[in-house]
Amino acid sequence: MLDQLGNGLLLGIIISVASVALSLLYGVTRIVNFAHGEIIALGAIMASFFSNLPTSRYIFLENTSPLGLSFELSLALSIMICGIFGALLELCVFRPLRRNDFGNIAVLVITIGISIFLRHLYLIFASSKPQDYPLDLQRRQQYFIFDLTPRDFKIIVYGILIMVIFGLFISFTSIGKQMRAVRDSTELANISGINSDRIILYTWILSSMLAGTAGIFQGMINDVRWNMGFLILLLVFAGTVLGGIGTSFGAMVGGFIIGIVVQVSVALPFMEGHAEAKNAIALAIMIFILLIRPQGIFGIKERIS
Amino acid sequence: MTDLKRNLIGLSLIVFSIGSIYLLNDEGPTRIFINLMAFAGIYAISAIGLNIHFGWTGLINFGHAAFMGVGAYTTILLIPHAAGREGSINEEGLPLFLAILIGLVASAIFGLIIGLPAIRLRGDYLAIVTIASSEIFRLVVRDQEDLTGGVYGVISFSDVFQDIRPKFLEDLSLRLDVSVGQLWVATFSWIMVILLVFLLKRLQNSPWGRALRAVREDEDAVRALGKNAVWLKLQSFMLGASIAGLSGILLAFNYGTLQVEMFVPLLTFYIWAIMILGGVGSISGPIFGSILFWAFISETDQLASLIFENADGQQIAGVRFMLVGVLIIALMILRPSGIMGKKEELLLDVK
Repeated sequence: MLDQLGNGLLLGIIISVASVALSLLYGVTRIVNFAHGEIIALGAIMASFFSNLPTSRYIFLENTSPLGLSFELSLALSIMICGIFGALLELCVFRPLRRNDFGNIAVLVITIGISIFLRHLYLIFASSKPQDYPLDLQRRQQYFIFDLTPRDFKIIVYGILIMVIFGLFISFTSIGKQMRAVRDSTELANISGINSDRIILYTWILSSMLAGTAGIFQGMINDVRWNMGFLILLLVFAGTVLGGIGTSFGAMVGGFIIGIVVQVSVALPFMEGHAEAKNAIALAIMIFILLIRPQGIFGIKERIS
Repeated sequence: MTDLKRNLIGLSLIVFSIGSIYLLNDEGPTRIFINLMAFAGIYAISAIGLNIHFGWTGLINFGHAAFMGVGAYTTILLIPHAAGREGSINEEGLPLFLAILIGLVASAIFGLIIGLPAIRLRGDYLAIVTIASSEIFRLVVRDQEDLTGGVYGVISFSDVFQDIRPKFLEDLSLRLDVSVGQLWVATFSWIMVILLVFLLKRLQNSPWGRALRAVREDEDAVRALGKNAVWLKLQSFMLGASIAGLSGILLAFNYGTLQVEMFVPLLTFYIWAIMILGGVGSISGPIFGSILFWAFISETDQLASLIFENADGQQIAGVRFMLVGVLIIALMILRPSGIMGKKEELLLDVK
């Protein structure tokens, strides 16, 4: 059980970071982004492409070897690429859609199209074989009550740090305040002199960078796969909805709860031998929450039915 | 655009795409064509079901694959089959048509179970709940190996379906040099498509059909007129789900095996692409959409080999699905009403 609690904490951090990103984007733009998972995967796959040694067995796009940069540099580059990609998505796709008054459902279906497109682009780029980062194997140690490797522990610390910084950013900086203003009401924000297009662009960049970071964490703990984004997407949705879609703090807590529930449920007596179905429990919790408290744990009541 | 003009455009697109199959494939174009028509018929049935949910009633259902799966698993497990790791053979079973009937009812009940709570949610939440339900279904089926065969799937169930095959198809299949099993699946599917289209044409203009579309346009007005909007939505969910169940059953007979991975969310998105391509809300739209979609899919293999020198299965699949993604994006941006749909009947804003 305690082993699983440590794993749950790790998965919780990943889902939490990704949920915060999804929730921020939904709050500001009202887009339910099904391509979010693919941005998560983009971070992980680019990091693998940059950091693995050219002599490794991984081949990209039929004949290109990985670049073999240092791991830290690879992380920075991958997260930057995610940010740029988010900006491009906004500038090339979603801003024109907004200008032309596309309905929410049309935009939702378009994000599904983008997701399918990107996922299979990754299949061609990175092949279907799982990849690892060139990191040394580490032994598990005791941290408080958890059994974790030093790297796992670092991920948890960095994850919490990222969320604290994000919280401070959204609460106290000028851009953060403007983001919240656009989230509450785009029209009112525009009237009070906020350039909402620019704020939405920043939101896309920030959300994509956070998603990419979550992807790299996931790659460090498990492995990198072309379809890893879609596999984790529904859990991220669950975390977001559980905490209250559109709320940052809620998404953080919701993501944590989902991650811990998924991993700890493996240790429950009735789940013995059913570890493969653990995600079903998280999804069932999400549906249950939507039924009894559709605004989520921390959401503010609005018309959602 | 008049309906006649729409029909003509749709027909000429179909003639063009089927013609291109015969022009582009030297070896066995008829076999490719029958394979295409089998899948097109089955997916058309599924898209007809989805169209009742989204096109008629405005319910955003992203869990369509699960409705297909429930029908398929219920029916196949009730007829003689072999399931699981050992492939233990179960020779006893219900008569085929009784099993199909129970499968359809099971799909409808599953639709009710999903619909009952979800129906009160706003559009984008409904999307998330339905896709999550379909994943729960998939994970549970995968997990319950004793009952469903789990990852090993179900096999050896096609005989009862092939036993009712008319005799003249055998001569025809010899002459055309195609598999008689698939020819029968294709024929049966298209008979079902035609029956469904007739049925839905009647339903569409019935008081019930008009009430459904009224729910899509303005739920409050329907309530004000004393109709039970929630119950109407649930009926729509059940009807669409059981049509999806039928297509799931036929899909299993077409593959000759039942695997849980057949019902991944990607299948749902395929059906969405077909529905949008054909025209949301139109009855004959899914037929056009399905044939065009499968012609498009079967031509992508050639495209992959243009891009890569020795395209392997992975790259062919990659290129194919990338194009499906592009197709969905392009349709939503350029022509969200598809070939047969009417713009004024399209519901794309959250209510």
